[in-house]
Amino acid sequence: MLKAIWDNIKGLYSLVVGLSITGRYLLSPVETIHYPRQVVDDEILASFRGPIQLTLGKKDPAQTRCVSCQMCVKACPGHCLKVTKGEAKAPVAWTYDFSYCCLCGACVESCPTGALEFSHKVYLVTVSREELIFDLLADLKKRAATRAEAPTPTGSAATGSASIAASAGSAAPAPPAAGTAAAAAQPSPKPAQA
Amino acid sequence: MDLSLAIFVQIIVAALLVIGLMVGNAVVMVYMERKVAGFIQRRPGPYEVGPWGTLQALCDSMKLLAKQLYRPGNVDIILYYLAPILAFFPVLLLFLPIPFGPYLTALNVNEGIILILAFAGLGVLSNLLAGWSSNNKYSLLGAARAVSQTVAYEIPMILALLAVVFQCGSMDLKNVTEQQGAWPWEWNVLTQPLAFFIYVVSLVGETNRAPFDLPEAESELAAGFHTEYSGMGFALFFLSEYANMLLVSLVAAVFFLGGYKGPVADGFWWIFIKAYAIMFFLVWIRWTFPRVRFDQLLNINWKWLLPLSLLNLWLTAIIVKLLI
Ligand code: SF4
Ligand code: SF4
Repeated sequence: MLKAIWDNIKGLYSLVVGLSITGRYLLSPVETIHYPRQVVDDEILASFRGPIQLTLGKKDPAQTRCVSCQMCVKACPGHCLKVTKGEAKAPVAWTYDFSYCCLCGACVESCPTGALEFSHKVYLVTVSREELIFDLLADLKKRAATRAEAPTPTGSAATGSASIAASAGSAAPAPPAAGTAAAAAQPSPKPAQA
Repeated sequence: MDLSLAIFVQIIVAALLVIGLMVGNAVVMVYMERKVAGFIQRRPGPYEVGPWGTLQALCDSMKLLAKQLYRPGNVDIILYYLAPILAFFPVLLLFLPIPFGPYLTALNVNEGIILILAFAGLGVLSNLLAGWSSNNKYSLLGAARAVSQTVAYEIPMILALLAVVFQCGSMDLKNVTEQQGAWPWEWNVLTQPLAFFIYVVSLVGETNRAPFDLPEAESELAAGFHTEYSGMGFALFFLSEYANMLLVSLVAAVFFLGGYKGPVADGFWWIFIKAYAIMFFLVWIRWTFPRVRFDQLLNINWKWLLPLSLLNLWLTAIIVKLLI
C-alpha cells in the first residue's frame, strides 16, 4: 500500500521529464522545410524514389541498356509500362504511364540488364492525366545530352544522381514554377554536384 | 433610482466588454495553441495567412460564421438550440466579479467565488443538453463523460480554493488579492503550494482539456457532445470553452498568484500576464501528455486529489486556528 503510493508519487517525476522534452523541442528550431520558399538539399533527394527512368547507357549514354525482354512489363502490377521491340533488341518506343504507377519498384528489380532506376523527381506537377504518360526514350536522350554538355569528373557516380529532378538545385534554391507541367514532365536535368 | 441605473449601465458595459474579451481570447488562444503545437512538433504552425499566420484564427472564425447551420434529423429542437446558448451566457456572468485591476471590477460582490463556482456548474448542463438532444450515441457518451468528469473535478477544485479562503478569511476576490503582495514570494502559491497543484490539475479536468479531454476524445467519440453541431452552434461551444479556460486561469491568478498585483505597477496587465502564463502551461501539457483512460481519470480524482485536498484543508484550518 505504502509502496504503491510512493510509486505514484515517483511517477510524477516522469511528467516533469515529458514536459522538459517538449519544452526543449518548443525552443529548438523547426525541422520542416517550408516548401515554396525553401527546398531540401540535393543530397536528401538522392534517396528519393520518384517515377522510374531509363539508366544511361554504358558506352553511349543516349543508348538505353534495355533489350526489350518485357520482364518489367509483366512484373508491373499497374500495367503502366509499354515497351515496343524494334528490329534489333533495342526498343523503339518506351512509354510509362505514371498515373498508374505505385512506385513499387518491381520493374527495377526485374530488369535483367539494369536498364531501369528510380528518378529523384520530387517536384512533379501536371495539370492533366495525359501529361503523366512519359516517353522514357526521349527523356533518356535529353538527359544524355545535358550530361555531355557538362561532364562531371566522376563519370560513374553521375549515373545515379545525374537527373536530380526539375530545377531545384542547392546552388539556386528557387522553387520550380508550380503548376507548369512542362517543367516537370520534361525535366531539364542538371549534372550531379561533386 | 440613480444608483441602480448606474449599476445597470455598468453591467451592460461590462457585459459588452466581456463578450469582446471572450472573442479576442478565443482568437488569441487558437493562434497560440496552434503555434505552440507546431513548435513542439518542430514545424512552423500556421504560416500563410497574414504575417506569421496571425490572421489564420480570424479567417477560421469568418468561415465558422458563414457556414450553414445544419440540424440532423430527430433532434430535440428546443434543447438542441438551447445548449450552445446556455454554454455561452453563464460564462459571461462569470467574468463580472473578477477584479481585473484595483478599480476595474464589473460587479463588486463580497462573495464572488461562490458566484463563480455556482454558475460554473451550468456549463456542464449545456454539455449534457447538447449530448442528449443530438440523438447521436457519440454525443450522448461524450455528455455522460462530461458530467461525471466535471462533477468529480469540481470537488477538489472547490476544496483547494476553500483552503485559500480559510487562510484569507474572505470570499471576496478583491480582498483575497489585496492580502497578497506584489512580489512572487508574497503570493498565496507559497503558503498553499499543494492547493495550487490540486487546483491546476483539476482545472485541466474541469475545462475538458487534454490529457483529460475525454468528453470530446476525437479518436473515440468523433467530437463528443458537439459532434452534431456546425457553424455558429459549434463556434459558441468553442468560444465558451476557451472563455472557461481563461476564467479558471484568472481565478487561479487571483487566488494564488497575486491577481492584478505585480512588481512596478499594479494593473490589469499583471492579471492577464499571469492568466495567459497558466494558459500557456495548459497548452504545453496538452501537447505533451497522452489522454488518460476514463477509470484513470476518475482514480486520479477520487483517490488522490480529493484526499489530498481534504488533508490540505484540515491542515490549513489547524494552522489558521493556531496562529490567530
Ligand atoms: S514501380 Fe511498380 S507500378 Fe511503377 S512502373 Fe514499376 S512495376 Fe509498375
Ligand atoms: S525488363 Fe529491362 S530490359 Fe526488359 S524490357 Fe524492361 S527495361 Fe527493357
